Amino acid sequence: MKFKDYYETLGLKRDATQEQIKSAYRKLARKFHPDVSKEADAETRFKEMGEAYKVLKDPETRASYDQLGANWQNGQDFQPPPNADAGFEFGGRGGHAGFGESSDFGDYFERMFGQQTGFGQGRRRQAHAQGEDHHAKVRIDLEDAYRGAERNVSLRMPVVDDHGHVITKDRTLSVNIPKGIRAGQTLRLSGQGGPGVGEGKAGDLYLEIVFRPHPRYRIDGRDVYVDLPLAPWEAALGASLTVPIPEGSVELAIPPNSVVGRKLRLKGKGIPGKETGDLYVVLNVVLPPADTEQAKEAYRKLQEAIPFNPRAVL
Amino acid sequence: MSKTVINYLECQVVEEDIHLTLFELCQASQASEEIIISLVLEGVLEPIGQQAHDWQFTGPSLRRAKLAQQLTEELQINTPGVALALDLLERIDTLQAQLTRLSRQ
Repeated sequence: MKFKDYYETLGLKRDATQEQIKSAYRKLARKFHPDVSKEADAETRFKEMGEAYKVLKDPETRASYDQLGANWQNGQDFQPPPNADAGFEFGGRGGHAGFGESSDFGDYFERMFGQQTGFGQGRRRQAHAQGEDHHAKVRIDLEDAYRGAERNVSLRMPVVDDHGHVITKDRTLSVNIPKGIRAGQTLRLSGQGGPGVGEGKAGDLYLEIVFRPHPRYRIDGRDVYVDLPLAPWEAALGASLTVPIPEGSVELAIPPNSVVGRKLRLKGKGIPGKETGDLYVVLNVVLPPADTEQAKEAYRKLQEAIPFNPRAVL
Repeated sequence: MSKTVINYLECQVVEEDIHLTLFELCQASQASEEIIISLVLEGVLEPIGQQAHDWQFTGPSLRRAKLAQQLTEELQINTPGVALALDLLERIDTLQAQLTRLSRQ
């Protein structure tokens, strides 16, 4: 077990006042709030800060933490007193309670001090209560949204066993991802959340859909965008091309005199659904390199044949 | 560690298939009734129905309520502040999507 230096987490000295603790936390919380922050490790940092603040904001828990001594270093191996962890309940960040990829409940520090600061209180103490709803994210590919898919979702959740110990339980759910799903939408799986208490029914599981970045396609709601590189003569003279799309491929007529950035809309070829999206083919012109005498000669001929000043507007 | 595999679960798309009652929204977002009601008064959530007991919340409400609950609890922002933060976050999302759409790889 590693020692956690809560003061260091919040960037504070050990003699910080309660006011300083509060303002340090507030400042960092705004910076690293996972819904606001773009930092890669925001979620982890935010959890650590929350844990540190919960202990330090209360003078009593702060005092018992301080009793461990000032000589510990962050990450140093640490042996907690025996049986200090009996009977705690897990808590955590509201909507993500004990769930998802980065949860690390069962930690001594969170148990030791978290318990005293009101983690895990509330509904579960009632005789009968509906289980908690759980939330997680599921990553899918664009193609899954076109065709529908079955995806295995691995979830890890802490459960309290018969002896009052917290164990991590892994479970895998096979979920039917419906055709036409879009990023940011949520799936509800009834009864797959936390177990009910007494005769209360189980909570639900909510899965938020996230698309993995696609090497070719860009997605905006129901619409899908793809870049199509063209040779200058294809853009100038028009062409008939076979273009790969998520559902296979299409024959596409490129109109003559097309310019870079021109969008060709393929109606109804976006993400399917009640209102099917469109697929936009965005034209891009790629110049052939003038790396042979032949190519240079061809460019010179073009220069002579076409009086063209691209900077006429400057 | 124990492992359980449950086969092939059907699910509903929250945004399209279902409406949530006030109770269900509180349960799913872990926000108190008080918070949800103040979000409705602030115009952050727009349920169908006149009275609180027959409110029906559409899908996007869940995402907003969840975010609002976290912002309220973790950053101790008041309701008008949450409303502003949600609007700005959604604007950032829209701009981000536009940027992705326009960017070339």
